[in-house]
Amino acid sequence: MSELNQTDLTIQQLDLFESEFSSVIAPLADEQAIRAAQAQFLGKKGKLADAMKVLGKLPPGDRPRVGAVANRIKATIENEVARRLGELVEVAAQADLLRSVDVTLPARPMPAGRLHLLSQVRLEMVQLFAEIGFVVAEGPQIETDWHNFEALALPKDHPARDMQDTFYISEEIVLRTHTSPVQVRTMLTQPPPIRIVAPGFVYRRDDDLTHSPMFTQIEGLAVDVGLSFADLKGTLLHFVKRFFQKDLAIRLRPSYFPFVEPGAEVDMQCSFCGGSGRANGAGCRLCKGSGWVEIGGCGMVDPDVFAHVQIDAEQYTGFAFGMGIERMAMLRHDVNDIKFYYEGDVRFLEQF
Amino acid sequence: MKVLWSWLLELCDLDKVPTVEEGAKALTRAGLEIEGLTNLGAGFTGVVVAEVVAKRPHPDSTKLSLVEVITERGGAATQVVCGASNVPAPGRRVLWAQVGATLPNGMTLAPKPVKGIVSPGMLCAEDELGLGAGAHGGIVVLAEDDPTPLGAPAQRALGIDDWLLEVNAPANRGDVLGHLGVARELCAALRGRLVLPDAELTEVTSGEGGLPGVVIVDVFACPRYTARVIDGVTVSEQSSALARRIAQRLRAVGVRPISNVVDVTNYVMFELGTPLHAFDADTLTAGEIRVAPAADGEQFTTLDKVVRTLVPGDMLIRDGARGIALAGVMGGLDTEVTSATTRVLLEAASFEAKTVRRTARRLGLHSEASHRFERTVDPELVAFASARAARLLAQVTGGTVRPGRAETYPAPRAVAPITVRLARVRMLTGVALDAAACRDAVERLGFTVTGSGELLQVTPLSVRTDVAREVDVIEEILRMVGYEQVVSTLPALRQPPGSLPLDRGDVVRKALAGAGAHEALTYAFQSAERLAALGLPATERRAQPIAVRNPMSAEQGVMRTSLLPNLLAAVARNLSHGRADVAIFEAGTVFLRRGEAVSERPLHELADEPTWAAGVLAGRRPAQLGPGTPYDAFDAKALAEVAIRALAGDAAITARASHGAAYLHPGVAGELLVGGTVVAWFGEVHPQVRKRLGIDAAVFAFDVDLSKVPVAGPAQMRPIAKFPGTTRDVSLLLDAAVPAARVTEVIDRTNQPLVNGVRLLEDYRDAKLGDGKKSMLWSIAYRAADRTLTDAEVDGAHEAIVTSLLENLPAARR
Repeated sequence: MSELNQTDLTIQQLDLFESEFSSVIAPLADEQAIRAAQAQFLGKKGKLADAMKVLGKLPPGDRPRVGAVANRIKATIENEVARRLGELVEVAAQADLLRSVDVTLPARPMPAGRLHLLSQVRLEMVQLFAEIGFVVAEGPQIETDWHNFEALALPKDHPARDMQDTFYISEEIVLRTHTSPVQVRTMLTQPPPIRIVAPGFVYRRDDDLTHSPMFTQIEGLAVDVGLSFADLKGTLLHFVKRFFQKDLAIRLRPSYFPFVEPGAEVDMQCSFCGGSGRANGAGCRLCKGSGWVEIGGCGMVDPDVFAHVQIDAEQYTGFAFGMGIERMAMLRHDVNDIKFYYEGDVRFLEQF
Repeated sequence: MKVLWSWLLELCDLDKVPTVEEGAKALTRAGLEIEGLTNLGAGFTGVVVAEVVAKRPHPDSTKLSLVEVITERGGAATQVVCGASNVPAPGRRVLWAQVGATLPNGMTLAPKPVKGIVSPGMLCAEDELGLGAGAHGGIVVLAEDDPTPLGAPAQRALGIDDWLLEVNAPANRGDVLGHLGVARELCAALRGRLVLPDAELTEVTSGEGGLPGVVIVDVFACPRYTARVIDGVTVSEQSSALARRIAQRLRAVGVRPISNVVDVTNYVMFELGTPLHAFDADTLTAGEIRVAPAADGEQFTTLDKVVRTLVPGDMLIRDGARGIALAGVMGGLDTEVTSATTRVLLEAASFEAKTVRRTARRLGLHSEASHRFERTVDPELVAFASARAARLLAQVTGGTVRPGRAETYPAPRAVAPITVRLARVRMLTGVALDAAACRDAVERLGFTVTGSGELLQVTPLSVRTDVAREVDVIEEILRMVGYEQVVSTLPALRQPPGSLPLDRGDVVRKALAGAGAHEALTYAFQSAERLAALGLPATERRAQPIAVRNPMSAEQGVMRTSLLPNLLAAVARNLSHGRADVAIFEAGTVFLRRGEAVSERPLHELADEPTWAAGVLAGRRPAQLGPGTPYDAFDAKALAEVAIRALAGDAAITARASHGAAYLHPGVAGELLVGGTVVAWFGEVHPQVRKRLGIDAAVFAFDVDLSKVPVAGPAQMRPIAKFPGTTRDVSLLLDAAVPAARVTEVIDRTNQPLVNGVRLLEDYRDAKLGDGKKSMLWSIAYRAADRTLTDAEVDGAHEAIVTSLLENLPAARR
């Protein structure tokens, strides 16, 4: 048996590293340990480097052969490291999928405030009238007697003033009792054609289950050439059908408001029972079995009002209507006491 | 206006008598809304008219009697036990609640032994039938001449087999404040004919003379005054069948019967709508009735025994110089008809609406008469009312009417024809109506029509004082044709709608709700006390609210100058309901005196009505599990910034400690500035303020004057950074009193163009840092738009900033 020369011995030693590394790395299960094992063999002071120190002493002709073996061993170890690390990632990914949470735990609350129901309804009403060309107009809530009454054909000592029991600030200044003074202000400043809606707070000395001393109205006014009562009816019908998302009919009943002639009260088919007068096997409690509910007043602008704002009643006609926003919200959302709107009770506010 | 169905039908000649429901529907459809429909006799059943045929004492009781009654002539008698002391003699009729009868108290009668003798039902007293004032005055005994047949329901004998209609009379329809006016509407609606009540005086007239003179000093206030004299009068309770019927009807429409004379004047008022007054003629001495204004300060005692102090605008009826009635409102005490009266002076007059209204309102004296005069009583109807009442007075009192009537009526009412253009009718109503249809409509109302083709001349009835213009007639035509004939069309949109002004309130409402607060709405008025609870200095405009002159309660005495008091009150209410966590806001109008605030000066001009937004926070933030962390001043600050940002976009907001907000805790009060103007306040509500408003826990608030916040245009896109930025931190040791805003201010002033953002990472206070010191860790972001920064560049900028901080604050680096 010939004695192995230095070159062969080195190669033999290098070849051993391969299996040695395999047995070192086999039990390791974390990246850090594997990297440490890799360094133990391939690092600057690792086994491979150590073994290769003899390279300079080998015959130059052998050196490429030894170098090639060393490179092969290095590649094998690196491949093995990469394979094992890949395995670890895969295992970790699989393990991660075993995680679970109790998804029935409560959601984390995000900021979620609500617009007041009356704001929501107001914005929606304004939007529905905007669809047919009505734009918003506004006026002061502390109003002159002239704008609130006189210009609307409600002179002092007129019994119709009894219909609107008034809060006074002084002899000539009132809290507006309706949004109708916005009609007057609009007609004084803007020539026809006019299409406005005026939502806003109004005040009357009245306080019970269905009356609040402060409440919200929305007023509509159209002034143009050739407007008729039929246009008024169509405008209201458009609103009712869209707002309630039901094919409800409306009915105009003759009534008296000094600032319109002809004047009418507006009824619509009850939104709750659909006009049948019956709900849940009994008389409908919303319309008291009549199938109709009252939603507001309306009419053709009275020539006396046109005279106050210097609009020629022969050339132009107009219609006006007014509705309570609380009432609309009540009809659609079943609010049974007007007080809830103004108490700031969070248990109410958070429902809508 | 209460209307009795039987009375109404008496005044109508209808081809087919409608049911009361049909009648109510027809009236409502024509514009007289029937708000209520009551069956007057619904309170009991099974009670009938019975005749007493025998009575004898109960064998075992001195108080009870055994009464035999029959319900048909020749029928078998039934024995009823009765405890009343007024059981009448045989031949009189009583009301017998038979077995099975139901009474207003809910009882259903069954045979019942009374002291050993079984009684099949009972004889009824008024109170047992739900009638009368409640006093048990013995059983009902019908008058001898009562026409109700035996066996008939008791309702008929009592005049309550009837319906009461509650008519919502429009304010301009004085003509429907009597049954006749409502009958006129019903006849128009159902094409019937009106039947006038009997006012014939021939058979009740006798004697001659005895009429006073009538002088009207102010014919504007009193267009017509008439007087009649009825003598030989016996004032009594309602002794005749007619008087009883009158009393029954009055009771049904809610008027208390008083005496046969007064009842007639009330009856005719309810029948025709024309108020009347009866004086005791023997108390009048001057021989002349004068209608003249009151003297300033003149005293007058009205029927209700109240001494009234009058003003010259009030009109008095005078006997010579002496006041005897407040015209159109109430008679005088010392000329009142009494049981001793034998001669009556009957006043029928028309007083002007506004005059009566002013007097009634000023004196707070609203009578059935003033209610009608305020809504105009047609002077043309006065003579008929006078005759009708005189006839009834003679009939019920046994008196006779002196011939003729004293009268002054200087300018009889003339009703002019109104020209109605059919084209106008069609244009306004949107219904294609021809001349025949229009003519038919107004003729149904009793109006007269002439003309043809496109122009009609329509003369309304005198009583219809509300119909004076073409448009009034057009409404009448549409009313008769029926509003349901109007089709629905949409008005043409003839020009594009204008742009809408920004509603600051709505923009902010949406933003604040999105940020997690609930929108509340509170009353625009509040008590002066609640406002005062804020502790605002008296000189501040907001401490000088506009007072409501006639509030419903002191709670609503003044207009709000701040949204906070009512919001804080809402917090207190929520807490009292056990709702401890509250985050609510309101965006709304506050009302400020215009110009220089002078609280004592009455407001003769409009107010300033700026929109503010305010919010209050109490309790804890929402948490996933368990209680959240408590709200603090920085939640309030966050919401204030949300409100500002909603309008001002990314305009710079700066904060500083506030010393001007009296309602905030002095150490936890901040204000926010945009463009150098303070627009908002925030912080912890002053503990004393919240205590005054009934809140025991800490509350945080913000208050933003939205009218002062500048409005940004649409946001313009900034380029998205293409190159990475980097950050450098610096830890500073500072005096605790140096505010964070001061640090950012110094950083800003250093004007390093690479600075892209400044964040405070830590605000640390510890005794170990030294007395009155704090440590702050700031992180500054650097970025350039056009390149990746080098470390050297960043370090240079950062060091420049740190140096500036150390020099200017002053601060030490940690």
